[in-house]
Amino acid sequence: MGVTRRDFIKSSIAATTAATVGLPLSQAALAKTSEAEAGWQWDKAVCRFCGTGCGIMVATKDGKITATKGDPDAPVNRGLNCIKGYFNGKIMYGKDRLTQPLLRMTNGKFDKKGKFQPVSWDKAFDEMEKQAKKALKEKGPTGVAIFGSGQYTIPEGYVAAKFMKAGLRSNNIDPNARHCMASAVAAFIQTFGIDEPAGNYDDIEYTDTAVLWGANMAEMHPILWARIVDRRLSHDKMKIVNLSTYSNMSSDMADSEIIFSPSGDLAIQNYIAREIIKRDAVNMDYVKEHTVFATGPYDIGYGMRATDKYAYDEEKDTQAKQLKVKLNKYEAIGQRKKEGEVVEQKNAKTAGKHWMISFEDFKKGVEPYTLDYTAEVAKGDPDEDIESFKKKLVQLADYYADPKRKVVSFWTMGFNQHQRGTWVNEQAYMNHLLTGKQCMPGNGAFSLTGQPSACGTAREVGTFAHRLPADLVVFNKKHRDFSENIWKIPTGTINPKVGSHIVKIMRDLEDGKVKFAWVQVNNPFQATANSNHWITAAREMDNFIVCSDGYPGISAKVADLILPAAMIYEKWGMYGNAERRTQVWREQVPPPGEAMGDVWQVLEFSKRFKLKEVWGEQPVPGLKAEGFKDGKLPDIMPAAIKMGYKPDDTLYDVLFATAEQKKKFPWPDPKVAKGHANHIADRLGDGWFPEKALFEEYAIFGRGHAHDLAQFDKYYEDDVRGLKWPYVNGKETQWRFNADYDPYVKKGKFEYYGKALKKLPSGDLDKITNKEKTSLAGKAKIFFRPYAAPVEQPDSNYPFWLVTGRVLEHWHSGTMTRRVPELHRAVPAAQVFMHPKDAEKQKLKRNDLVWVSSRRGKIKARIETQGRNRMPRGSIFVPWFDEGVFINKLTLDSTCPISKETDYKKCAVKVVKV
Amino acid sequence: MNLSGILVIAAPGHFEATIENLNELSGVEVHHTDPETGRIVVVQEAENVGAEVDGLKRIKQLPHVTVAEMVYHYLAEDDQILESLPEDFDQLNEQVKVPAYLNN
Repeated sequence: MGVTRRDFIKSSIAATTAATVGLPLSQAALAKTSEAEAGWQWDKAVCRFCGTGCGIMVATKDGKITATKGDPDAPVNRGLNCIKGYFNGKIMYGKDRLTQPLLRMTNGKFDKKGKFQPVSWDKAFDEMEKQAKKALKEKGPTGVAIFGSGQYTIPEGYVAAKFMKAGLRSNNIDPNARHCMASAVAAFIQTFGIDEPAGNYDDIEYTDTAVLWGANMAEMHPILWARIVDRRLSHDKMKIVNLSTYSNMSSDMADSEIIFSPSGDLAIQNYIAREIIKRDAVNMDYVKEHTVFATGPYDIGYGMRATDKYAYDEEKDTQAKQLKVKLNKYEAIGQRKKEGEVVEQKNAKTAGKHWMISFEDFKKGVEPYTLDYTAEVAKGDPDEDIESFKKKLVQLADYYADPKRKVVSFWTMGFNQHQRGTWVNEQAYMNHLLTGKQCMPGNGAFSLTGQPSACGTAREVGTFAHRLPADLVVFNKKHRDFSENIWKIPTGTINPKVGSHIVKIMRDLEDGKVKFAWVQVNNPFQATANSNHWITAAREMDNFIVCSDGYPGISAKVADLILPAAMIYEKWGMYGNAERRTQVWREQVPPPGEAMGDVWQVLEFSKRFKLKEVWGEQPVPGLKAEGFKDGKLPDIMPAAIKMGYKPDDTLYDVLFATAEQKKKFPWPDPKVAKGHANHIADRLGDGWFPEKALFEEYAIFGRGHAHDLAQFDKYYEDDVRGLKWPYVNGKETQWRFNADYDPYVKKGKFEYYGKALKKLPSGDLDKITNKEKTSLAGKAKIFFRPYAAPVEQPDSNYPFWLVTGRVLEHWHSGTMTRRVPELHRAVPAAQVFMHPKDAEKQKLKRNDLVWVSSRRGKIKARIETQGRNRMPRGSIFVPWFDEGVFINKLTLDSTCPISKETDYKKCAVKVVKV
Repeated sequence: MNLSGILVIAAPGHFEATIENLNELSGVEVHHTDPETGRIVVVQEAENVGAEVDGLKRIKQLPHVTVAEMVYHYLAEDDQILESLPEDFDQLNEQVKVPAYLNN
């Protein structure tokens, strides 16, 4: 490239960058930009990666993405992009992109032990149809499953959930978001009766304090972190506290860093609550008017299998604790019991039940959490002086208790991936509710998300085993009736029995209960803990695994059939971020080869099922529900015929491409498309706009029910950069439950109007004493939850804690980011982060190759004793993006018993030199 | 050759020093500055694509740099892409071959 051309491009890049971040520019500089960009078409889009939801602008020329830039008009990121976001345009162009269906075959026929060979879409669907119908015949609706995603676009999640729940009558669809957000969801529902945060990102610019609990925002949410840093530098009062089990990049900018022991966060939060009470800092008016106190059982197990039938011998000692646990000293004090007491885990299956208690009882609950006790149980760095640790705890309590200081608590996986994840989320609300610092600008407990549409799709659409759209649930008759009415399907279609959560789908494969599973927009065989079990089950058992993906990750390798998927800007899409903001993009470039969008894949597959094949009587083992015969879903064909359907109608005709949908949402739609193509509508070729039709039908669920979304077309308007629901009368809602901002508040200054779990029995700290249920409509709950130790702890055989997580440059299992040369080269392989003294003790040096092993498996990787994650002695960190360092072979599939979310942060390992 | 537009924010009182530090980095040019807000726009050129990411890290590690984030990325890899569409884009079909990894 000639020097002039290069300089020209550079000055244009500089001008665009400056304009993007709002730096004043000369006309001449601007003119250069437009000249350099001649022939490019810019359009708004959303970043593919984390839950922050940054807006980006994408330039295309002749069917290829030419450039990307931060969207200056996007309120989330105001023109900035993090390093991953910056490479959005490149993730689709990896050399090993999947472009054709691949089926394991021998001699031209499917063979589970065969090699992958290219097949046509028709042949792929033929085999899928055969296998799915075989599973349905043998096992009924519980014999099939979908591994769904927090990266589904909204229409993708909706089409998959409706296909399963209304079509195949199976609730076995559960997203990888279960691994990242379920504890947050369970706590939202239990505390507020409705899912998702009350506040929004603007809280950052209003607050005086950002407390990070198990959220390394500097690496995982860099753009929000940039806003926090900005606030820290421009507002003198602003303080940042970073609580973590190891020192990370967020600590560099923090005023205080608190390194706590695994599960020590449970004690710290109770200590803060105790201090708030002791200092008379409870906002009594607020507490009386807007809250009740509550608690639940402690003997809830650890979300592991109740049997050791499938356990390796090595695993059996940990496994046994699912049934019985001997309390250690700290648990005994924190739970007001005796040390060494053996507690049967009787409430493993009823972990979520809870009841109201008095404020007096609540005070008794937090009383043991003195500064001395808390410091002893929670100090996480053996080299830190206990007095210095105590000082930091006192200061943290000062921040929460000071009525003049605004506080926002942020958290992500440190809280959510936690054996007591629901509890620890609820404790965050506890301290915000006790002080009344909730649901107002700059004050609130804010659950961040890890995936781009964990909120917008997985949660709001309800691609979970127990959910329907807009916070409705399958086990509630009224909710099923409401859904069946919108879907125009017979009463009794929807299965009332909750399906298998994502970890259980894996266990069901191992048990032989699930025979057909479809992986969509995620990589569950790399992402699920204790993976040796599940990979063996998928490869060795009699089952059929389909994997739709853009690149061949571990799940594709494990599958029997691989379907090539269109990625991000190769399709129309909508995501919902962590602040309830729904954002959209148009198809920018065509998918390569024969790759097709996931919406098309489900729609096309739905053509293969006739009503008479799926709507007859169906066995559902264990089903017990009012209005249903035990163990059976009714034959709904007679009712369907009365509604005008025919036995030979397909699920495509009845659930998706109905005459009404086709008429209301035709394709082409030039007003919205503005010249952009839709490969799905074109391939279907029957004249409708599937993404729009699916979205508008889905939106009916939430409108008028505090989940109001705007019209599809509204989001695509040029000047709209996403809208925060509930969107009522042309206005988005900034702070929910606050009368100043939220139109759903009908009474008082604050109203927690969420409807779920708002009638409770009452009792004391240990049990229900009055079974009669009282209403707590309009109120939130302040839960007392005690300290509980992690189920597996380091011992002489496995002396280290293992923590897993992400790194800045890579996202999730690396299937996309490892295809970007720049990102791959930046961090080519996962390392074992370790304290230098721990390494020295074992005669290990930086970059030495080691075996890391647990009761469940082992991996090889190199030691890193410096760098971004600085571990306390006794802990190691290994990121999970690298399939070559398959760390989930080692992790423990223990979940929060309430949310069923896996704890990826606490298990015991040993490290040995190779 | 990789080009990136990067926003750098200098801590109050360190604006001039930060500009000097940036200019001393190889491949980095300061193009626009705004003393009032401490914001500096630089363009980074990296000979080797891998160096681009390291380059940003290098900027982040400078003293008194509070924010350094990429704003603009030019997807060019060689001259040809700058001037026209790469011809190999259509050759994706070749990659229909089953990735070796899958059948290992």
